[in-house]
Amino acid sequence: MSFLAPSKLSRKKRGEGTLTEWVIEKLLFISAIFSVLVVFFILVFLFGKGYQIFEEVTLWEFLTGDKWDPVGQNIEEKPYYGAHPLIMGTLLVTLGAMAFAIPLGIGSAIFISEIAPPRIRDFLKTGTELLAGIPSVVYGLFGLIILTRWLQINFDKPTGETWLAGSILLGIMALPTIISVAEDAISSVGKELKEGSLALGATKWQTITKVIIPSSISGITAAVILGMGRAVGETMAVMMVTGNTPIVPEPITNVFASVKTLTGALGIEMGEAPVNSPHQHALFALAVVLFVIVLSINAGAMIIMKRIKERHYGIAGKKKGSRVLPEPIKNFTDSIKNFTGPIKRHMDTILGIFAGIILIWLLTSWFGIPMGLVIFFMVIGIHFFSQSLSPKNYQTMALGMVTLSIIIVLFLLGALLYYITAEGIHALSWEFLTESPRNCGREGGIYPAIIGTLYLTLGAIILAVPLGVGAGIYISEYAKETRVLKIIRAGIDNLNGTPSIVFGLFGYAFLVLYLGLGVSMIAGQITLALMVLPTIIRTTEEALKAVPHTLREGSLALGATKWETTRRVVLPPSMPGIITGIILSIGRAAGETAPIMFTAVVFSQPGLPNDPSDPVMALPYYILEMSMNIPGGQGNAAGAALVLLLLVLSFYLLAALIRKRFEKALKGFR
Amino acid sequence: MKSNIVIATKDLNLWYGDKQALENIDMSVREKSVTALIGPSGCGKSTLIRVFNRMNDIIDGCRIEGKVFFRGNDIYDPSEDVMELRSAIGMIFQKPNPFPKPIFENIAYGPRVHGINSKKKLEKIVEKCLKQAALWDEVNDWLGDTAMGLSGGQQQRLCIARALAIEPEIILMDEPTSSLDPLATSKIEDLIYELKEKYTVIIVTHNMQQAARVSDYTGFMYLGELIEFGETKQIFENPKEELTERYITGRFG
Amino acid sequence: MKPIENFKWIVPVFFAIILAASVFAGCTDDDDEETIDIKGSTTVLPIADLAAEKYMDEHDDVAITVSGGGSSVGVTAVADGTADIGMASRGLKDSEKEKYPDLKEIVIARDGIALIIHKSNNITALSQEEIRGIYNGTYTNWKELGGPDKDIVVVGRDSASGTREFFWKHVMKKEEFVEGMLEKNSNGAVHETVKGTEGAIGYVGLGYVDDQVKAVKIKNEGEEVEPTVQNVKDGKYPISRNLHFVTNGDATGLAKKFIDFVLSPEGQKIVEDEGFVPL
Repeated sequence: MSFLAPSKLSRKKRGEGTLTEWVIEKLLFISAIFSVLVVFFILVFLFGKGYQIFEEVTLWEFLTGDKWDPVGQNIEEKPYYGAHPLIMGTLLVTLGAMAFAIPLGIGSAIFISEIAPPRIRDFLKTGTELLAGIPSVVYGLFGLIILTRWLQINFDKPTGETWLAGSILLGIMALPTIISVAEDAISSVGKELKEGSLALGATKWQTITKVIIPSSISGITAAVILGMGRAVGETMAVMMVTGNTPIVPEPITNVFASVKTLTGALGIEMGEAPVNSPHQHALFALAVVLFVIVLSINAGAMIIMKRIKERHYGIAGKKKGSRVLPEPIKNFTDSIKNFTGPIKRHMDTILGIFAGIILIWLLTSWFGIPMGLVIFFMVIGIHFFSQSLSPKNYQTMALGMVTLSIIIVLFLLGALLYYITAEGIHALSWEFLTESPRNCGREGGIYPAIIGTLYLTLGAIILAVPLGVGAGIYISEYAKETRVLKIIRAGIDNLNGTPSIVFGLFGYAFLVLYLGLGVSMIAGQITLALMVLPTIIRTTEEALKAVPHTLREGSLALGATKWETTRRVVLPPSMPGIITGIILSIGRAAGETAPIMFTAVVFSQPGLPNDPSDPVMALPYYILEMSMNIPGGQGNAAGAALVLLLLVLSFYLLAALIRKRFEKALKGFR
Repeated sequence: MKSNIVIATKDLNLWYGDKQALENIDMSVREKSVTALIGPSGCGKSTLIRVFNRMNDIIDGCRIEGKVFFRGNDIYDPSEDVMELRSAIGMIFQKPNPFPKPIFENIAYGPRVHGINSKKKLEKIVEKCLKQAALWDEVNDWLGDTAMGLSGGQQQRLCIARALAIEPEIILMDEPTSSLDPLATSKIEDLIYELKEKYTVIIVTHNMQQAARVSDYTGFMYLGELIEFGETKQIFENPKEELTERYITGRFG
Repeated sequence: MKPIENFKWIVPVFFAIILAASVFAGCTDDDDEETIDIKGSTTVLPIADLAAEKYMDEHDDVAITVSGGGSSVGVTAVADGTADIGMASRGLKDSEKEKYPDLKEIVIARDGIALIIHKSNNITALSQEEIRGIYNGTYTNWKELGGPDKDIVVVGRDSASGTREFFWKHVMKKEEFVEGMLEKNSNGAVHETVKGTEGAIGYVGLGYVDDQVKAVKIKNEGEEVEPTVQNVKDGKYPISRNLHFVTNGDATGLAKKFIDFVLSPEGQKIVEDEGFVPL
């Protein structure tokens, strides 16, 4: 055979091939840029409705006014649109949730990735993921019935519906995000770094705190930020437990005060505010504020992570003499360095003192001055005592704390699952699953709601998968590090942080009203699809990035085009990651209430929807209405909650199984 | 070349799960010498040197029988303190693995975890170790910069400096030059030659010329067994085992 | 690649689920049927839902969809044609009448508002002035009213609720609510909170009065009146309001038939069964 003859392998004509490549690249690009458009549209629509409130009040009054009484129930019958208490409510509840979730989450992540034996590791990972699978309405019921009562009794307060209850509940809800992202980051720290540290005689704990955590700090930061985003945007659960009193706590450290959050106001009042009334405009303006808060958290996160990365992997170009500054400027920067030098050197001390002052303030305001001081000195004592321990004893203590955190997380999971099962098991029967509701849902079954939920989620997935996977492929395989990619990434990050209630409002304003789809299945499916899109994009991107670069080069070197390489070489090994992402999205979509509440659901309808323009019944909304608005509906609400949980959990289990099988199949490959 | 034995194994067997990776290893390493372990890939030479500082402990399903003596104690005795053992035995890995921290912090890491916190002492240690590792002149102005910006060869020398900072008796090197270019390799080899003045070095390599160049003693391993062990000159010029001869002359492996 | 082949079964499984669902769905498909959508107040929802269920039992070729969302949603939905009947727990507001002059409201039932407290509380009756005093913050401890030494936990509805608006107008006489009032977004949530909070007081529709909470009698013209359907019907219990259906112009067709059904003795029986007051 002659090597000079035209190869039989080149089946396609050149032009045809490049055209296909071109079209595919453009399609992928469009799906990637789609997220940016969605974020833009969300902003435009929320803003378009929200800005009209400024015909009533000024922006300053809106943001700083401390009275939220949009219907004017006061002597003068004058409405007040002061969002300050709501903004503070959101910030305080989120802050509290983070104070609770960060130590527990990172502790658990450390335990799972560094300490747990491999056999338990999978169990723990699945366990914490289950926490993410519990629908927020169910969290809300748990919070209202168990948590607030527990707080009320244990702290002897008039009511348990407080800032603290909201923070604990949101903390639990943020845990799975924090744990799984932080765990990924920690486990991805190279084995060689770990060995390098251990070989120097460092203890396991020293290795964890001085090498592993610093090396994975950007991932851990991302975990915290994502968790924070989840907490800021959560609606259904938080509005059931915080008491919804629109005043700023007095004093501001009073965790037993009732607060109202931005999402709480949106979730509660949206349905009752007359369309196009100032009240509704004010609510849309609240949504804009909420969105801006989320955007700034994301932006802050990006800046922090960039800083950290620069510090760790310093840019190689910064080497000798690459940055020659003119003499006067150099002198100037040197003098700044001289000035800030001492501050930097004593940074630890300054931060320590600062933290101490805050701690004293918090403790004395919670426990009174004498008790607070006693606790403060106990904390200080423990701190210095632990400093004096040998590295080995210190390790024992630290590992004990880490183990404790995972035990707490597992206990919370167990309590939730037990509560839902115990409440709901009585309602379960074959009829309950296969019949339509009767007598306002107190009798009969929930069959149409189950099917409605399946319709909504599957429809959402069918819409989101092509866009999401396409965008993931574009970012991982095609995009170059340009400004456009930065914008796309920012779009996806922001979409990911967008609260579900904001998706709901956008769906309502844009799909239901503006496009005239009405309250319909298709409106709900699109809204849910937008909500899960970032999850699918991210998991696809991560899965593709995990495929070794050499494989692509191997394929390209054989003359395959980019798309052929992607399709035949890169996609197959990353399928487990992609499918996992898709199934987790199904779970998330099935459990959400806020996005479908205004766009797709009805309480009851005869039979099932015939076409996408019909509204549907759905489990999460059904649970909400049954437990809150139908006297005597709690029993079947609990049954429906159990069914929804089982449904979501079976999706998660499926995801875990698939991941396992794929991982086995790919073992030799990586 | 007669000096004390610092570390020795007796009837050492090691399994990963069901798979036996080391079989009946008996070997003694002399103080202030360089001992090379050679053999084809997968013969167990890396596993063997990881026995000496118990780095196999962190691998799941690893089981060990037999004894390993260091300073007369069995290092696998339950009462033995692993951290202490590892601070007496430094290790250099196949791929340079500096921590993503400033150069200074990389070297100060070991002393710090062993309780040295005084800035002055640390500065002294860092300077001393960087000089010993022949890296001082290249990096002394850049101690605050991240170690990830160094070249591969520099990174590996940094790792050597890092290991020296804990003042070990033995330095284990697991194919330390396999990812480096010839120039960087020869710098490391020069360094090994100097290190033997003060330290005992055990080096795993699959580069036979390197073994011949730097080592005083050589062990040839094959399929988990130590086939032959002796003075380097003898192994390379006059091997007793046919297997060794065939490997050294390049007829297999 | 092998792995992907292993997972081809996923696709059929998904389709099987969808197919199974559609087969079930097929049983009820019927294109000739007449349909109406009812939407609005969650307070009125149980009446409409039960009436719809009954009406559909009696008439084969009709389909009635019921959904909540709130009184305002109901009014708007009727006005813009996305629903045929709106449910409202309040009368039309002036702004709504102005904007949608064609809207018609029909009173379909009365709803008594009961004050509920924790079962352990020994208070049995309160006057409207005392209730106002509790909700505007004059009283902060039950002992001021002859009850136990417990802080009063004031529970109300959210600011957008029709129930709260009614309460504010008729019980509060438009006085401002106390600042620390807990705001709940539904009758059920108020009930749940009062049930578990010793010092709590809340207001709910009569349908939510059960033995898990204690309903307070109202001192009215020297009498202590229990919140019951009969007392509201007789005009003895003072805190009650009308519940409405809203239509765009006069109702026609199925909507009219359905409203007539709700107003018929059979429909009013449902109203009473659900704890509301028939006309």
